[in-house]
Amino acid sequence: MSEKKPVYICRCQEITEDDIKKAIEDGARTVKGVKNRTGATMGLCQGRTCRKLIERMLARYVDMNEIKPGTRPPVRTVKIDDMVKGEEVENE
Amino acid sequence: MNKTSEIVIIGGGVIGTSIAYNLSKKGKKVILVEKGDLAFGASGSCDQEIILQSKSPGVHLQMAMRSAEIYKTLEDELNHPIEYKNTGGMIIIETEEEMKTMEGIVEKQKKFGFNVEILDRNEAAKLQGGLAEHLQGSTYSPQDAHINSMELTIGYANAAKKLGAEVILNTEVTGIKQENRKITGVQTSDGDIDSEIVINCAGAWAPAIAQMAGINIPIQPRRGQIIITEEVPPYVMGDILSARYIAAKYNPDILKNSNDPGIKLGVGLALSQMEKGNIMIGATREFVGYDTSVTREGIKEILKYATRLVPGIRDLNIIRVFAGLRPYTPDGLPVIGFMENVEGFFMAAGHEGDGIALAPVTGEIVSDLIIDGKTFIDDSVFDIKRFN
Repeated sequence: MSEKKPVYICRCQEITEDDIKKAIEDGARTVKGVKNRTGATMGLCQGRTCRKLIERMLARYVDMNEIKPGTRPPVRTVKIDDMVKGEEVENE
Repeated sequence: MNKTSEIVIIGGGVIGTSIAYNLSKKGKKVILVEKGDLAFGASGSCDQEIILQSKSPGVHLQMAMRSAEIYKTLEDELNHPIEYKNTGGMIIIETEEEMKTMEGIVEKQKKFGFNVEILDRNEAAKLQGGLAEHLQGSTYSPQDAHINSMELTIGYANAAKKLGAEVILNTEVTGIKQENRKITGVQTSDGDIDSEIVINCAGAWAPAIAQMAGINIPIQPRRGQIIITEEVPPYVMGDILSARYIAAKYNPDILKNSNDPGIKLGVGLALSQMEKGNIMIGATREFVGYDTSVTREGIKEILKYATRLVPGIRDLNIIRVFAGLRPYTPDGLPVIGFMENVEGFFMAAGHEGDGIALAPVTGEIVSDLIIDGKTFIDDSVFDIKRFN
């Protein structure tokens, strides 16, 4: 029999369903807890796909009303130069 | 849940888990209680630098150097990937005044046996690309390193568990039990734990825990905002700080009197690159209570200052920002030791931004003091009475 293919939950960081399961077994009860243990949601898309999937996995263990997303803005990438330039214009 | 333990540790950050590991290694029965999850406070919202150069010559630097020794073999010892890398580090010097200050510090650190030197602008540019033309130079030490602080906390917790420690998450300590000024245990949101020794490792939240035992400690939360860029190829040489970061750390009063919004926010540069390629750019040092929000002004001021010193990062994209609360003490040193008025109540908090660098040595010192009553370092400097 062929080996079971890994199911990727967080594509950016290549974190699999098994990795997330292990994190939950280790005591993670929030997206942030899963993130600290696996690195999921920390890639370029900042959890836009995997956050929902992780929340669904957590839902079996936690009352979903209590889950705090722990999102760390910006939700979309920003160029450093644009942040700094904005300030220079304001000062003119 | 009602339990009994030789020692109860409050706080699942890098300090609490390091202490749990060190005490378990010496055969003590330990229960660690954490109100949230591992590395949910400052340990999971900090930069990754183990920078020795920022420590003042004396016990502070001695502690950092001992930690650096422990770090070299810690990954094998914990059997956990903590991403330790001995990269070396530099402190960027922008003005002549900063150069004078840094020359003084470097000279004292050298006398202490620490390997550090001053570089001019050209020598510094050979180590790190993208530096501004107007810089005076930098310091350099091959002894600086960095680490993944979340993996470190989890690694310590798991190693402690393997040695028999119990780690209880999502459980808040609600009271400290005592009889005749003697600790008898803690009350938690999930029952009592009886114990004759309680160690307060709650970081910025340590004052509230100490208050439950009737003790005032002068720790204050100090907010640090940090920015993460997209993943890029290797660019940052190791740990980079700015001389103003050192000033912000030790002279908060000087900063208060400035009109520069960046200086008012305590902005100093802390630049490093994570294993996956993201660059971390920090940080502010602000007294805003327990507010962990990120501000537009804070992020902007960090980036303005960072791009003034290292224009080479201007074209990168930022993907994430966050803030953490460092446990500040007036002299920058932690409070470590048994409290005089309540027998069995032990403090180990107040490392401010040095928690990651000092976690391994703090674990050793605390386990020494609790088991043997003495340690290899002059621990009188950690005495709470110094603030009276």
